Amino acid sequence: MASWIEQSVSRGILTSRYPKAAATDDETPPTGRPPVPESPATSLPAARDRCPVGAITETAVDQGKCIRCARCVGAGLSFSGSVEAATRSRSDLLRISAGPTPVPDGAPPLAGLGRSLHLFLVDVGSCNACNLEVLALANPYYDLQRLGIFFTNSPRHADVLVVVGVPTAEMVEPLRRAYDALPAPKAVVAVGACPISGGVFAGTEGLASALDGLVPVDVYVPGCPPTPTAILDGLLKLNGRDRETREGRR
Amino acid sequence: MTALLGFVLTAAVVGFFAGAALSVVRRDLGYATALAASVLWLVAAVGALVAGPVTGPSWSGPLGDAESLSLDGLSAFFALATAIVWVATSAYSLAYDDRPSPLLAFCYALTLGSIALLVASSSLLLFLVGWETMTLASYGMILQAHGRSGRVFSAAFVFLAFGEASTLLVLVAVAGLHAMSGSFLEVPVATAGALASIVFVAALIGFGLKMGVAPFHMSEWLPIAHSSAPSNASAVLSSTLTLAGAYGLFRVISLLPSPPPVWWGALMLGIGAISVLLGALFAAVSEHSKGLPAYSTIENNGLILVALGIALIARADGLAELAVFALFAAFYQALAHAIAKTALFLSAGYLEHGTHTFDLNSTHGRAKDADRAARLGTIAATLSLAAAPPLAGFVSEWMVLEALFQSYRFSAEWVQFVGLLAGAAVALAAGLILVAMVKFLGFSFLWKPSATGPTARARGLAAPVGAVGAVVLAVGVGAPWLLGLITPSVAAFAHTAVAAPVGSLLSIPDGWSILSGSPFGILSPPAVPIGLAAGAAVALGYFALGGGFGARRVEPWMAGSPPGCDGETYTSFGYSTGIRIMMRSVLQTREVRTGTGAGTRAELATPVSYNVDLEVLDVFKVFYDDLVRFGDAVAAALKAGIMTGRLGQYLAYILVVTLVVVIYVAAAA
Amino acid sequence: MRRPGWRVEPAAAPRADRASRALAYAPEDGAFSLVNDYSEGMSVLAPGGPDPAFDTPWAVWRTAAGAARPHALAPAPEVEGYGVFTFPYGPLSMGVPEAGRFDVRTYGERVLNLVPVGGFKSRRVRAAVVGQTVVDAALRVERLAGNFSAAHVAAFLDAVESAEGRAVPTEEWWVRGLAQELQRIYNHVHVIARVAEAASQNVGLAQTHALAEEVLRTQGAVFGHRWLFGALLPGGPARRLDPTDRRALATRLGRLGDEFERLWRLFLESRTFVDRIQGTCPVARDAAVEWGAVGPTLRASGVAWDDRLRIPVAPYTDLFLPLPHESGGDALARVATRAEEVRASFLVLEQMLERWPAAGAGDEPPGSAVAPGRGLGRVEAPSGDLVYDVRVAAGRVVGLDLRSPSQANWPLFAAGMRDAVFTDFHFAFESFGFAFAETDG
Ligand code: SF4
Ligand code: SF4
Repeated sequence: MASWIEQSVSRGILTSRYPKAAATDDETPPTGRPPVPESPATSLPAARDRCPVGAITETAVDQGKCIRCARCVGAGLSFSGSVEAATRSRSDLLRISAGPTPVPDGAPPLAGLGRSLHLFLVDVGSCNACNLEVLALANPYYDLQRLGIFFTNSPRHADVLVVVGVPTAEMVEPLRRAYDALPAPKAVVAVGACPISGGVFAGTEGLASALDGLVPVDVYVPGCPPTPTAILDGLLKLNGRDRETREGRR
Repeated sequence: MTALLGFVLTAAVVGFFAGAALSVVRRDLGYATALAASVLWLVAAVGALVAGPVTGPSWSGPLGDAESLSLDGLSAFFALATAIVWVATSAYSLAYDDRPSPLLAFCYALTLGSIALLVASSSLLLFLVGWETMTLASYGMILQAHGRSGRVFSAAFVFLAFGEASTLLVLVAVAGLHAMSGSFLEVPVATAGALASIVFVAALIGFGLKMGVAPFHMSEWLPIAHSSAPSNASAVLSSTLTLAGAYGLFRVISLLPSPPPVWWGALMLGIGAISVLLGALFAAVSEHSKGLPAYSTIENNGLILVALGIALIARADGLAELAVFALFAAFYQALAHAIAKTALFLSAGYLEHGTHTFDLNSTHGRAKDADRAARLGTIAATLSLAAAPPLAGFVSEWMVLEALFQSYRFSAEWVQFVGLLAGAAVALAAGLILVAMVKFLGFSFLWKPSATGPTARARGLAAPVGAVGAVVLAVGVGAPWLLGLITPSVAAFAHTAVAAPVGSLLSIPDGWSILSGSPFGILSPPAVPIGLAAGAAVALGYFALGGGFGARRVEPWMAGSPPGCDGETYTSFGYSTGIRIMMRSVLQTREVRTGTGAGTRAELATPVSYNVDLEVLDVFKVFYDDLVRFGDAVAAALKAGIMTGRLGQYLAYILVVTLVVVIYVAAAA
Repeated sequence: MRRPGWRVEPAAAPRADRASRALAYAPEDGAFSLVNDYSEGMSVLAPGGPDPAFDTPWAVWRTAAGAARPHALAPAPEVEGYGVFTFPYGPLSMGVPEAGRFDVRTYGERVLNLVPVGGFKSRRVRAAVVGQTVVDAALRVERLAGNFSAAHVAAFLDAVESAEGRAVPTEEWWVRGLAQELQRIYNHVHVIARVAEAASQNVGLAQTHALAEEVLRTQGAVFGHRWLFGALLPGGPARRLDPTDRRALATRLGRLGDEFERLWRLFLESRTFVDRIQGTCPVARDAAVEWGAVGPTLRASGVAWDDRLRIPVAPYTDLFLPLPHESGGDALARVATRAEEVRASFLVLEQMLERWPAAGAGDEPPGSAVAPGRGLGRVEAPSGDLVYDVRVAAGRVVGLDLRSPSQANWPLFAAGMRDAVFTDFHFAFESFGFAFAETDG
């Protein structure tokens, strides 16, 4: 035991300063940021056909569809958006901006709960990367307990369903059960392109609709997978403790 | 006043026997008469406790003594406890018994009458008559089990064998008392010595057999569980037949010299503690809706012995205050158990009516279809037996534990050690019995609705369960006053004036709290529900001020699977398997597999299936099984003779005994 | 099959030979079997579909796409008895952070049998890739099981290149190796963290969890993506490693390797950790061979087989690769095997970064197609042998099947859990490194 203590002490403090400070580059590899067109008018039409998931239109990049495959990078777009890309509405994901996504006015869905949030992770058909990024929030680098956020073992004890994966037909009922089992007030966070739009699997036969066709979604966290910092931003947008709100940027 | 009560008393006892006779005419008439007699019996008991000893008209006994039916403080307590039980069981029987034959009603009333007779007898001889009649009549009741299979007979045989062994030992005790005092009348004996010890041991084992305490517990649960005796009979057997045993024990000890040798109490404490532990353990792993309560009876009777043992040791050590408190604990334990257990057996009968099974693994279902009275009654009974406040069992178990805690006051170190072990056993048992009761409540009480919905008969069955449940609550909350009521009983046992162990605590009024020593522990049973009510008032206030209920009904969360997935749910057996495995050295748990293979790939190519059973073993049962086999062999040998296994014949035996009693009474008159 | 370690036979080998592991495979067009001959150390590919006398449904390489959903992933005897019931655990439980169910047959406390039930998270990957170009198909393949993405893409590309008979630059093979070894380290460390979590060895959990995060960050730094998505896609490495990058990476990995050494030593001294997994969920050598176990599960049961050594391709042909194996077969042996493999991977990475091939160093020959336009790809994924069978035509994928390590190992987990107690579940489960994602497809 003593040696474990020695080990822990010798490593010093690993924990990120986020959300007090901005996310570091170590936390955020290039694909951790949304692609943003350099000049929308020319870049978007040029890059449109490169996108394998049809995220790029003439006028916008649908971050909810983007799987960060980097094919448009170098064709007028670059991964230069803000890590804090989580939105409270689906349509906000279409906004073109290098800055953080603004939070709409009005109280966040779980403001009444104060600091503490209890999460239940629901996998409705993921590739596991999103699950593991959500669970990575518990590691010493992110230590989400310092922010009053905890994982629970049952939706009965949770406030928030953190949904990962593209909803398969088989998971529609289990998802509904989990949603019903949440006590009110409750919230749902869609983590990753899969639950938001189907991601890379959108349109495959045998899959259910996107998540917001099944349960109301309060926060959308784009990415494939979103980095832990991006997920943290999405969670904090539930109770108004995210960086933008803190810094009065909205 | 007392003269009138004397008549009421006599009328009650005669009424039971009249009920037996009338049942031959009409079943209902028998039960109704028994119900009326039970009410009279209750009046006489309360009268005797409040107004002092009651004596009915006397006659001269066969040995020339003047005999009468009477209740002194001690017998009045047992009359009170049995009366409460019988009022409920008789009312219940009216709805319950739908057998074409009147035999059950006949044996039922006869059992009640004989127990009343032995409790109210003023001479030991009359006591013996009552005792033996009780044994035979209750044997008759057990034979009325449905599906009179070989198991019924072997169970009944064990019961009878134990009953007769018990009678034999009781005879020894009575003979010893006679030798010491020269009389069959109940006079305290002053001389101590070897003879007194022989009487004590004979009484302890003889009456212990009827109480079903370890290692004689087979006589308690086997007839009930194995034969599935009718539920009204089960309640009478488990609650009041064992009370009769306790009464005999209390009575004989009260006649023995005081202070007793310290080993008497230690022996009793040891037997009691073992019973408590074994009873609780086997209750926790029982899957039978009547076997479980039957094992719990063993536990509860063990607690009576524990308290009485403490009282005897305290008396030997000159700890008067502790002795009195422990006696109160013993009496209260007997009362609390009898009432709660009645509700539980009646509930098992209700359950059987709805589900046609005694197997707790197949009785689960939804609560909302159950009759509210039965539901609340069962909740009260199980919680009381699990010692949850503020119910009767909580108060009595608290008292027993408080008495046990004071075993450090004993002078001999080895006795302190016995007290320590007993304390550990009782504490462990408290945990085990909680498992048992939660299991009964969870897996039986929340049962499937009967196909037809609540019938008139079901309501007739439910009402007594609910009523007894209310009494369980009252006996818990009203404990300080009831302790005052039964003070004459303790005084009669101790042959000295005593005061109920009640006093005051903080701002709770004087007399509202039970004190276990001066000073030791303190408990105020009425304060608990008052506190609960105060909490409820806050909640009600919230609603009164416009707070909403906000209730939402959702499915149970089963990790995302539908509830009752594949039609399977957790079984009652699974609930207690942890105990089976943990206590495997005591339970001799073993797994029996039939048709199993190695599970290799080649083998699994063709679907295999096997059967697995996790069996537990009561070591004593092995011995008694052998006994049954021996008995069966004897019975087979005598088959051509008297033991034909035919009901009519057993009935004839009972009639002969009844006749003997009638002749006895006539001769006395 | 010109690569070493493979042998193609004209007729099926006798499969009842228990020293070898058979994998029968019956696609629509022409069945064949794949046999690992452990005595000879060769993989034998022969025509002929399942042998009904020997191949149970579980030994046949099936694709989840054809199976009813949800469906059992392992066989189990039927057990009846007094008080016996089925307890469904999942598909949504935090104990298993993935959607999948376990039907536990029990009389309480003890597991009489356990059936993993999969198919809940079937994203119909096979349907999604058929008709796509190879590059677009690869986007789906790497998202089939995100934590094994490098292995899946490498096996997929190997199959495509074999089918097309296309030679691939040596450096690209090295990049694939680099990505796979990094991901192997991540997954093994993650398994150790999960076992530590189950054992409530919380300091150890935090430390290994942190180490796993550092590996993800390293992957992000090298390939631009924490999960290596896009890193190996056709058209060359997403990023070329110049000497400065290689030196920086070597330093970084050296630090992580030292860190792991310290942690693993502490774990071996931790009673809470070792006691809980010793003897848990044992897999005997015979059972492992008979059922066709793969990866650390097979090696922990005493069979020293690793695709990287037995059917080597670049860069492994040029490197020293230790082959750790144990004989205990229990969860401890599996975890210990993984720990040794972490060390081995650090060693391999060190060698790779020292001997990195110059750009344009030549091409590696492709594996042969099993049929025109059809190739098998095979890599040693973190949890074991991963096989892809891909059919391509005109640059598009027209058929895809795979046999994942999880699929191969489920029956061993089910068998090992038989007669265990509930509380062993998490230790046992985590030690195999399963992913429902790759079984469900
Ligand atoms: S990075 Fe996103 S927007 Fe760009 S091509 Fe890939 S999926 Fe489309
Ligand atoms: S969004 Fe991307 S990373 Fe997340 S589950 Fe879907 S495919 Fe995997």
